[in-house]
Amino acid sequence: MNTGPYSDEKVQKYLGEQFVSVKSQCFWDKRSELMKQFDIAWTPTLLVHDSTGKEHHRVVGFVPSEDFLAHLKLGRGKMFFNRFRFADAVEALSVALDQHPKAGPAPETIFFLGVAKYWQTHDPKGLRWAYDTLAERFPQSEWARRAGPYKQIPA
Amino acid sequence: MAEIKWEKDFHTAVELAAKTHRQVFQDFWFDG
Repeated sequence: MNTGPYSDEKVQKYLGEQFVSVKSQCFWDKRSELMKQFDIAWTPTLLVHDSTGKEHHRVVGFVPSEDFLAHLKLGRGKMFFNRFRFADAVEALSVALDQHPKAGPAPETIFFLGVAKYWQTHDPKGLRWAYDTLAERFPQSEWARRAGPYKQIPA
Repeated sequence: MAEIKWEKDFHTAVELAAKTHRQVFQDFWFDG
């Protein structure tokens, strides 16, 4: 049965187009091999893997539809990022940010987008962009603090 | 309304993802 974010048609469409979806039931009295493999200690835990089953992004706890979609798209961007496919990462993370600018994972998306821009061009302005954008839009976020050192880069 | 097609086995999902050039989304859930 599709409940919570799974009842949202946009979520259904995006999952169907971009992902193979799998449900793994948890048993606390007898942990499954998958629970042990992925260190699952609470539910829901949502994992975004690449096509080999390697994890690239994780969400613990309930998330509403808008945040859910933003996390899926961030996970897609991080998959490209982790594989050093920075042009693809910039494209995927830009889409995530444009389509979900106020969603929960937006600060993390901005951080990785700035770093991916830097890797793509070797121009530190990408890092400065991440700092400026986070300082303006999400100044209280942990990601703004992580980008703090980039404040030293000339704008 | 489209229904999400849920696989039940992770390794089957990975095989299907590799064949169809998609990622894998995995939901660990508890029926309690």
